[in-house]
Amino acid sequence: MKRLLGLLLCLSATQVLAADTIKLALTGPYSGGSAPMGVSGRDGSKLAIAEINAAGGIQVGKKKLKIEVIERDDEAKNERGALIAQELAAMPGLSGVIGSVNTGVVMAGDKHLQEKGITKIITPAAGSSSMTQWLDRPGVPGPKQLSIFRFAAHDGIQAAMVVEEAVNRKLTKVAIFADATNYGASGRDDMLDQIKKQGNKLEVVASEKWAIGDKDMTAQILKAKALGAQAILIWGIGPELAAIANGMAKLGFQVPLIGGWPLSMSNFVDNAGANGNGALMPQTFIEEPITPRAKAFIEAYHKAFGVTRIPSPVSAAQGYDAVLIFAAAVKQAGSTNSLKIRDALEDLKQPVDGVIALWKKPYSRWNPTDVTTHEAFRREQTIMGKVQDGRVVFANEADKARLARRGAK
Amino acid sequence: MPFSIVAQIAVSGALMGLVYALVAYGFQLTYATSKSINFGQGELVMVSAFVSLTLINTGLPYWAVVPLGLLFGALLGLVVERTAVRLALEQKSEGWILLSIIVGLFFFSAAENIWGRDDRPFPTPIPSAPIRILGVEVTGLEISVLVGVLAIMGIIEVFKRKTLMGKAFEAVSADSDAARLMGVSASHTVMLSYALSGLVAAVAGILVSPITTVGPTMASAMILKAFSVAVVAGLDSGFGVVLVGVVLGALEGLASLYIGSGWREAPGLVLLILALAVRPTGVFGKSVIRKV
Repeated sequence: MKRLLGLLLCLSATQVLAADTIKLALTGPYSGGSAPMGVSGRDGSKLAIAEINAAGGIQVGKKKLKIEVIERDDEAKNERGALIAQELAAMPGLSGVIGSVNTGVVMAGDKHLQEKGITKIITPAAGSSSMTQWLDRPGVPGPKQLSIFRFAAHDGIQAAMVVEEAVNRKLTKVAIFADATNYGASGRDDMLDQIKKQGNKLEVVASEKWAIGDKDMTAQILKAKALGAQAILIWGIGPELAAIANGMAKLGFQVPLIGGWPLSMSNFVDNAGANGNGALMPQTFIEEPITPRAKAFIEAYHKAFGVTRIPSPVSAAQGYDAVLIFAAAVKQAGSTNSLKIRDALEDLKQPVDGVIALWKKPYSRWNPTDVTTHEAFRREQTIMGKVQDGRVVFANEADKARLARRGAK
Repeated sequence: MPFSIVAQIAVSGALMGLVYALVAYGFQLTYATSKSINFGQGELVMVSAFVSLTLINTGLPYWAVVPLGLLFGALLGLVVERTAVRLALEQKSEGWILLSIIVGLFFFSAAENIWGRDDRPFPTPIPSAPIRILGVEVTGLEISVLVGVLAIMGIIEVFKRKTLMGKAFEAVSADSDAARLMGVSASHTVMLSYALSGLVAAVAGILVSPITTVGPTMASAMILKAFSVAVVAGLDSGFGVVLVGVVLGALEGLASLYIGSGWREAPGLVLLILALAVRPTGVFGKSVIRKV
């Protein structure tokens, strides 16, 4: 009897394996300090998957297959990220992976996926090194074929926009603030690099840093104030950014705060309160129903997850569009094989109508000397957002009008 | 650099230094009665702040939350004494070092699971708008730190000198064996010192949270500095910690200004090394002559 039962179990197990689904893994921090980004990204992806499945699935060859989700919480810990990537790399029949918020997690895990040829779309992790790690380096050639793609406005674009904003405002003296992590250090380098590239119009009067957990920023702020900085260009994460905004208000230093996208996170917006108003940061999506597509997405998200404000709208919209692009690649490949999906992603024939943009050929064939072949975002898909009374809104009406026009077409 | 800026930086740093001093004072209280220290003191600061925040979120007014938060801190202090310290002291072992670290880690994990890992704002009726005093901008919150720290330390010192229970505390601190022969219960006095130490941690948490926000890691940087302050001042220096805390806080700010903001932590560490090398009993500590 026991043997028979075992046999039956075996049979049912093989049936599950042979079941007609497309296995897609979603990873990211679903608990902890980075959770607003991880959860929003996952939920945005799930929304797209639910819509695809409700319509019967994706046409693969002669059959319509539904997407089966495998969820893994990396807790923003590098070692968890490495373990999850190893598990996913060994999982039979996995078609792809979408996710990752933290650059450290990407650096620890993606090599396992690349080794086994599992296609991954990184979103919303923005650290430059997540993709530049695959480039040719002196003496160490990068891989000829790459299974890793990115769907986020990387720090290079963001730094360019931050500097551009300061230059457009005709400022001449700025202070550069960055935290003492890898993220802060590379952001500082990106900004200094961009100041040079954009014609050295900005003089950096003060270059200040702080450790994670510091809350008294008086010295840094007063130094910038005394040296006549007209804006603070800043790279850090929510709680310390809030401490700086609060310190600036206290010390009566009212200049624009322009920086990387953590200025849009709830842990900055909520902790800085009114002092955060006016902070500027690059965004790929603003939670405003300016197009029918955006309106439908925002309403569907609010309804499905019972919220009135998406914790991280950028992560949610990117998670949503990344699934649509992945689905288009599956359809074009006519296969659930991850390598075939990779090839299709590198040469998408049909444009994908996402909530952020109309994606025409987001990726091209991997070139180990040109990282943009596997980066979907360009300057034109990114806009400036501004904190206004607890929400992130469009900083420039021109951007809003431009994006609304796209929706009207 | 104009003097007004230097003064502003020194004052802001010094006010943060007062919080280090208060946490260091918590170390002193338990060291006096039992020669033991709660290495999880930072977690008491953090958990008390979280509990107070939870009470505020239930709609209780701030001034009702403060005593409840302090009471909770004192209870936590007793928990630490019972779980980490009492048995080790009875067995004359140094087990309290590891045990108090472990109890602290337990509080940390519990906080992460109950309240999550986000930093959250701590609402308070104390105004955060700056006031100009002698050319230096100070917020109401910072003044509340100054008043709160000095008041709680003053009250505890008066309690130690003027009440019977306080005198028992002093007696056990001076010589626990002799005190026991006089009929003073040393174990009750140690419990009292841990309750007071927990209370002081809760005061620190409630005072500093509106400035720093509340999160599981809010005290991890603070605790190292408080330890430096306690060692530099001396573990039996009383109000000496206030002076050392204020100086250390001001030095941190001035180091960021003159050497660079990456060197902010340096003065505390240099002071700690110097104190240990030159005056291990602390600047204000009493050197003990052990009679044989």
